[in-house]
Amino acid sequence: MESAGHQPVLIIVTLLISAFLSPLLYRWRKFLSGMVLLAALTGAFVTALTLLGQVARSGELSYYLGNWPPPWGIELVIDPLRVYMLLVVTGVSLWIFVYALRDLEHELHHDVIGWYYSLYALLVASMSAMTLTNDLFNLFVLMEICAISACAIITIKDKRECLEAGFKYLIMSAMGTGCFLLGVAMIYMVTGYLNFSFIQTGLAAALSEYPLNIFTAAALFIVAFGTKAALFPLHVWLPDAHASAPSPSSAMLSGLVIKIYAFALFMIFYRVFPRSLLDAIPLNEIILWLGAMGVMFGSIYAMLQTDLKKMLAYSSIGQIAFIFMGIGLDQPLALTGGLYHIMVHAFTKSMLFMSAGAIIYSTGVRRISDLAGIGRVLPIPLLAFTIGSASMIGLPGTGGLISKWYLALGALETGRIFFLLVILASSLLNAIYYMPIVINAFMSGDEFKEKVKTVPPSMQATLVVGILLVVISGIFSRQIIVLFEQALTSLY
Amino acid sequence: MDQASIIIIMVVIVALPVVMTPVLMYICRISDRLRNGLAILTAAATFILTLLLYPFIRDGGVVQQSLFEILPNLEISIHLDILSFSLAALASFIWLLCTIYSIDYMAKEHACSRYYPVLIFTLGACQGIFFAGDLFSLFVFFELMSIIAYILIIHEQTEEALKAGYKYLVMTIIGGLALFFGIIIVFEIGGTVSLGVGVIIGEPSLLALIAFICFLIGFGMKAGMFPLHVWLPDAHPVAPSPASALLSGVMLKTGAYGLIRVVFHVYSVDLLRSSGWNNILAILAVITILLGSAVALTQTDIKRRLAYSSISQLGYVLLGLSILNNNALTGAVFHIFSHAFMKSALFLAAGAIIWKTGIRNINDMKGLGRLMPVTMGSFSLAALAMIGIPPLNGFLSKWTLALGALDAGMPGYVMVLLISSLLNALYYLPIIIPAFFESPEGEEINDHGDEGSHEVLFKIKEATPLMLSAIVILALCTIFFGLTPNNIIFSLSRLTALFLLGGGSF
Repeated sequence: MESAGHQPVLIIVTLLISAFLSPLLYRWRKFLSGMVLLAALTGAFVTALTLLGQVARSGELSYYLGNWPPPWGIELVIDPLRVYMLLVVTGVSLWIFVYALRDLEHELHHDVIGWYYSLYALLVASMSAMTLTNDLFNLFVLMEICAISACAIITIKDKRECLEAGFKYLIMSAMGTGCFLLGVAMIYMVTGYLNFSFIQTGLAAALSEYPLNIFTAAALFIVAFGTKAALFPLHVWLPDAHASAPSPSSAMLSGLVIKIYAFALFMIFYRVFPRSLLDAIPLNEIILWLGAMGVMFGSIYAMLQTDLKKMLAYSSIGQIAFIFMGIGLDQPLALTGGLYHIMVHAFTKSMLFMSAGAIIYSTGVRRISDLAGIGRVLPIPLLAFTIGSASMIGLPGTGGLISKWYLALGALETGRIFFLLVILASSLLNAIYYMPIVINAFMSGDEFKEKVKTVPPSMQATLVVGILLVVISGIFSRQIIVLFEQALTSLY
Repeated sequence: MDQASIIIIMVVIVALPVVMTPVLMYICRISDRLRNGLAILTAAATFILTLLLYPFIRDGGVVQQSLFEILPNLEISIHLDILSFSLAALASFIWLLCTIYSIDYMAKEHACSRYYPVLIFTLGACQGIFFAGDLFSLFVFFELMSIIAYILIIHEQTEEALKAGYKYLVMTIIGGLALFFGIIIVFEIGGTVSLGVGVIIGEPSLLALIAFICFLIGFGMKAGMFPLHVWLPDAHPVAPSPASALLSGVMLKTGAYGLIRVVFHVYSVDLLRSSGWNNILAILAVITILLGSAVALTQTDIKRRLAYSSISQLGYVLLGLSILNNNALTGAVFHIFSHAFMKSALFLAAGAIIWKTGIRNINDMKGLGRLMPVTMGSFSLAALAMIGIPPLNGFLSKWTLALGALDAGMPGYVMVLLISSLLNALYYLPIIIPAFFESPEGEEINDHGDEGSHEVLFKIKEATPLMLSAIVILALCTIFFGLTPNNIIFSLSRLTALFLLGGGSF
């Protein structure tokens, strides 16, 4: 394996530094502070692009932190799948941040915006590092940073419900990380390694000697990542947390944070666990059934909501479960669908939350029933909402269709038509709760009554970018799919 | 013409209306007249471009070209053969007339700046369906057309329209998911969904049967097949009349078109015959024919009666398709044309009546023939064609269908056709006869006050010339294509049937 340049660690360090700088600068020059973080995020995204170029040229790369070789030092690995995830993380967080610059002025108290920038930078830094790290203990540390900063960008809005939701999230999340740490300890006990690749060989040998330790560790991991990624039935914290947070936070949390854990679980399954372990106990089967239940229940709960952001939050539970179903089906095509859905849902749900944010920004309306006729006064946010809904349903021309296509193909390939029906049923349910909102917004005979404030151009522009992203991911998906196919064949 | 220019023309036919949609939206702000003119121009250009393909088709040309790979092994591609051409030409012709008709009809309506772009966009999507080269592209355009057509259906934005529209949308999504399911199974079994490879599924299997049923649900829903017709009688009447004419006259046919493609390009005729799956289609078609006609009898709203009649008429097409022999298929394709002319004429005429007098209830139409002789005359002509009175085109399609049924040794189907014709007569004649031979209730008292006058009074209060021209052209088509010795549409249908049954050549 070749060694990479310093770009991987540069991404993380730049973001960490800007996390320190932002609140300090904010006291001096408010505008500059935002620009510094914007520059850091842009830098991170561009660097991730150069990494993509490197991976395309020379395949898998690794980077030893502080030049300590594994198994002692921390290793960062750059392979196609990780770079894909890194690009999604940095790209989407850059996109959301442009929106946040204006929206936060409206949602937060002026004193805390500097701190918000800091937390945002920390969150992105930890997520970027989580995609790259090849070390279990390092992953644990990053999960903690991620969890705390994610919690803080909810509670930063000092409302009672935010504090309550943040607290619930913190407890659940701490439980998750606790489970993870226990699992790591058990793995360390039987193998003596923390590096993914070393563990994989070590576990294969240790499986026959210490099966119970390893099974317990596997169970702990499922609970840990299930909680963090809101896998049914461990999703209880999500609706409150995502719905009460400021809209950019909701977009980040629903769009990226839950997915990073789903991705981490994918990494644990295919990079840490040896094939013999996955064959020995039905881990994928458990994930598959939980995923299928999540898909159905998430949609059903969402149908019952009256608050727009709550509905979007419940819909996220259903959508994240698609990604888990991809892992659960344990088949390259289904994994392709699941991984692609990470990106599609990051685009779609972030855009939906941002358009909900724009609606709240300009009118203050949150109740779904009060949205009648709003499409005529806020055309761009509601157009974004419409396209987002189409992608959620999986209509042609949007990214949602591509991920569903591959998940369905994977389900057929493994001969499990039942799960294909689950996917189709969930599409129908999505249609049933998204469409009336759109119809009501554009076609209702009533005029919209509330007072309307114009949505700032930068927020409108991010929504337009979102529409383009969702449509492009539905049309020009071939390259990414081919990349997945190549990367995933190495797993089987 | 060489292949390359044919492909360019096809792409333009689909792209032109789609590109014109934002232009129309923009022009709306400047001038209404310009917008109307441009809408007609676009529809006319699409029609003329489609006709340009005729020489190529006459020589038995077939085009299959991949344009853009959306996923590995899954493309957006175009396909042209005689069936695509026939339907594309028909669709753009009806669209042109309906657009012309719309100009005056919609002048009184609200939200025209939404109506015209949507009308033209659906034309593009519809042509896309007929030119799609694989099931996936077909699915994309099918969904696009179905969902955008929703805006036409709920145009009035009344509670009733919104309710009907919602039902339509939910059914469309269900149909779309069924199609998705079917297509993905075909992809799984055959590794391709292209229409250019001949037969994709050659062996009967459980999955293949599931896929067939999924296609029946997806396309049958659109074609108003029993038991998935429930949206149709609500959705078609609430739309503005030119949109109803298009929905019933053209968009229903996309479902039938999809089924034809599935039967001949995904499965083979031999497979369907040997496995007997075509009987599923046949049984559903028979129920659809009888049920549609019977329920139409009970309707008093003219547009609802026409909508139910559409259900039964599409049943003829499906029946012809399920018999799987030359005459029956010719009849089915010819009936697609016939029904498009007849039903569009009927809906446009009904629209003119509603527009001019506000009458929707059939019982109030007494004496209307004296008020609006041209409209009612055209209506009568199209209605007589529906019943199947000899020189009209409806007779020709029923005759050919009946021949096909007899060829297949199924006299029962002929009985079904006869019963349905009888029912057609029962529900169309009570509209026509009172319209000409009875006097309007209370007319004498209100207008003249000279009670007891038995003079037949012609007080002409016709629709505008533009509207009439569209209605009359369609009505004349019903005679022309039933009577002419050199019936180009009939020979096209005959060639199409030969082409499909012969597996790609005449």
